[in-house]
Amino acid sequence: MNGCENAVEYVYQYIDDELTLTRKARVRWHLRRCGHCVDAFQFETQLKARIKMAGKEEPPADFFTSLRLMIEAERGAAEKDC
Amino acid sequence: MADQATFEDDAMEYAPQLYSAALRMTRNPADAEDVVQETFLKAYRAYGSYQAGTNRKAWLYRILTNTYINKYRKAQRRPNEVELGELQDIYLYKRLGEQSGASVSAELTALDMFVDQDIVEAIESLPEAFRLPVLYADVEGFSYKEIAEILDVPIGTVMSRLHRGRKALQRKLWNLAVEQGLVESSE
Repeated sequence: MNGCENAVEYVYQYIDDELTLTRKARVRWHLRRCGHCVDAFQFETQLKARIKMAGKEEPPADFFTSLRLMIEAERGAAEKDC
Repeated sequence: MADQATFEDDAMEYAPQLYSAALRMTRNPADAEDVVQETFLKAYRAYGSYQAGTNRKAWLYRILTNTYINKYRKAQRRPNEVELGELQDIYLYKRLGEQSGASVSAELTALDMFVDQDIVEAIESLPEAFRLPVLYADVEGFSYKEIAEILDVPIGTVMSRLHRGRKALQRKLWNLAVEQGLVESSE
């Protein structure tokens, strides 16, 4: 299929929604005609979603409390200086 | 001007995300907590000069990034361009497609063979200059423009590092699959 290289060149900007409207329309034009590229684009989209899920991790339970205490202590110290 | 009195209300909602990002940067929970704490302290002190209405999340990430870089001094502001080698586009997809006997669209379900820990390992294997753009785009969902502001580099640099970082991440995933005997290496 013609245009695969062209489409693949923009795959990341496409899945990141960073293409201009014209460029996006051209990529879509190709995707409507090329099942191989549709698969490849879906694959990259799924991988991005997996990275998003895997990259997140919950902080320890007492983390927010210690952050708040730290800011309160900082505020107290600043008020004493005034 | 932002009011220091509202700092906790304005910033605390970003703490979990900042912690995740810090963990992927430092690869260590204790260091991640340190980096986020220092980030919050700096952000609180600077909050009076923060322009309300501008991108608060990106502002916090910029402080986080600089805190991490200053603290660990491992940052390669100018990454070695040959460091990752030349990789073809959509690397993993193509390698999976080369598997003998692969049925049509088998690559799409092939991602299921990776567990989250594989993906974390692949993220953490990236050189820093490439890891941060990948984290910010894929995990945090920042736009290229926001990433450019956070990292203080031009948008073109963000795009090229993101592109190369993603390819390197895919190569690492492929290597993990080979090591675990999940796929057959043709090399």
